[in-house]
Amino acid sequence: MYQYTSSYAEYALTPEIILSLVGLVVMFLLGIPIWISLGISAFALLYFSQVIPLSLIGESLFAGLDAFPLIAVPLFILTGDALVRTGLSNKLLDVAEALMGWVRSGFGSSTILGCGFFSCISGSDAAGAAAMGRIATGRLVEKGYPLPYASALVASGSCTGILIPPSIGYIIIGLVLGLSASTLFIAAIIPGVLVLVSIMVANVVMNRAMGYESSTARFDPKHLLWTLWDAKFALMIPFLILGGIYSGVFTPTEAASVAVVLIIAIGLAQRTISLDDLPDMLLSSVKVNGVIVPIIALSLPLAQALSLLQIPQSLVADLTSISAEPLFIIAVMIVIFMIAGAFMEATPNIVILGPLLLPLAQEIGMNDIHFSIFMLTTLGLGFITPPLGLNLFVLSAITGASSMSISYRAIPFMVSMLLAAIVIAVFPQISMVFLD
Amino acid sequence: MKLIRFLDRNGEKILALWLYLFIVVVIFNEVLRRFVLSYSSLWGEETARYSFIYMVWIGAAMAVKDRLHIRITILVDRLNYRLQNFFSLLAWLLGMILAVIALRYSLEPFMLSIKYQSVTDGLRIVQAWYLFAVPFGFSLIMIRFAQAVIEDARRLVANQPPRGREKLFQ
Repeated sequence: MYQYTSSYAEYALTPEIILSLVGLVVMFLLGIPIWISLGISAFALLYFSQVIPLSLIGESLFAGLDAFPLIAVPLFILTGDALVRTGLSNKLLDVAEALMGWVRSGFGSSTILGCGFFSCISGSDAAGAAAMGRIATGRLVEKGYPLPYASALVASGSCTGILIPPSIGYIIIGLVLGLSASTLFIAAIIPGVLVLVSIMVANVVMNRAMGYESSTARFDPKHLLWTLWDAKFALMIPFLILGGIYSGVFTPTEAASVAVVLIIAIGLAQRTISLDDLPDMLLSSVKVNGVIVPIIALSLPLAQALSLLQIPQSLVADLTSISAEPLFIIAVMIVIFMIAGAFMEATPNIVILGPLLLPLAQEIGMNDIHFSIFMLTTLGLGFITPPLGLNLFVLSAITGASSMSISYRAIPFMVSMLLAAIVIAVFPQISMVFLD
Repeated sequence: MKLIRFLDRNGEKILALWLYLFIVVVIFNEVLRRFVLSYSSLWGEETARYSFIYMVWIGAAMAVKDRLHIRITILVDRLNYRLQNFFSLLAWLLGMILAVIALRYSLEPFMLSIKYQSVTDGLRIVQAWYLFAVPFGFSLIMIRFAQAVIEDARRLVANQPPRGREKLFQ
């Protein structure tokens, strides 16, 4: 039997343990797939430190994934993809345009709002960025926006894919930190909208300064009603998902399966998709799921070993010895999240940094839900920060603008999203408003 | 030979597709049951959860085949083809080691379940049926790793550019 109570002097950081952790970073940098690096490093760490039996690795591959909320991951990837293929995403964008297209710099704002609508149904990021990139960038350029700026705008708006619930990001955090996905979804509503609004504000400011958009559209209530009617099914789905989760009728997984069945049924009924399209749609999300979930499975034993080795705790001790000022700790965490987000995708960052930094957040009085929202919002910036901004690449592939030119134009959006993240970090009320 | 080629191309797809359809239908059905009959089944959530575990590891094998797994390429992209292929081979070899570890530690609970006939909470089925998900999945993953080793070794010898990621959402 091993003892959890023993002091951490007993599990001293031997050279082998340090080597396992350095090895993890080296494997990352050499382009070894993240899940393989995590697995090898977790095995080495357990082997050398003996803090927990090695059989834990085998167990986490099964028992670690034996969680009903996790099933929502492939489903919320599928909803996004299905939304695009059924053409419902176009209808959502039409509504957004009718709502906001007539105000000053309204076309840009309505594109961002369209990304937000999309995010209310889709739980992931790439499908939304691709879809909006294809539909909206052409129209934005027509209205006078330069192509790289239009791409940056869509790339930024699509960041809300994992910030506005439903979001696979929150499902993963929930699993890793032991929080309910429903609670996280509800907590994320206002912060997600705040980020969306901050991106709109950045666009309005940029537009006033540069005079891109020359909109001549007028507000047409008849047209608005018509687009609303046309998009009625698509608009019903977010209310069903969030309303169902909020009222406790559905778990997120159940809501996801209902949304999937509905979107596919609508697509089949409106003949925008056929049964032949189904295998392709389902298999895309199976593959994304096969990429994301192994990372979670293999990070679980690693996180557990790290915490038994008291590594998060010693990180807290080291940092708070410099300064225990909450704003300093928040700044440190923001820097860590931004660097991590710039170099790695959201899932590995969540599963590695979540358990590592939660004790630090608790030290300054952040609760675990507030911390989760703050972490994901800041990591969301990583989708538009070079060198590895997923949305930059997606948009670059679609529009042909280089990813560097897009990321340069995305700087105002990065700044506004960062400000939103700081506000979310400093004011816990924003995240807790529906929960108290 | 024909059968093997068919399985190589479609085996995982067919399995994953049926598992996925099963999961969606079962969960949807549970929701309907709760509204119409106002009670849920014993088997629904359980079978969905275990099908999901099968689907995860089958999906991971598919992702190896399509080279979809997330990795940091910013440094290795700057290397020449030979080194890129070399590190790709290294990745698969490390993956093989991981798969062996996974098989070693997942076969143990599987065997124990057969020996003691432990059953699940809901359906009271022998757990081994479900515990088999991990050894089965990692066997598939190992086959895909082996194929990737052969392919990348060829590329290394011929000094060809490394194979990139397949596109997922067009």
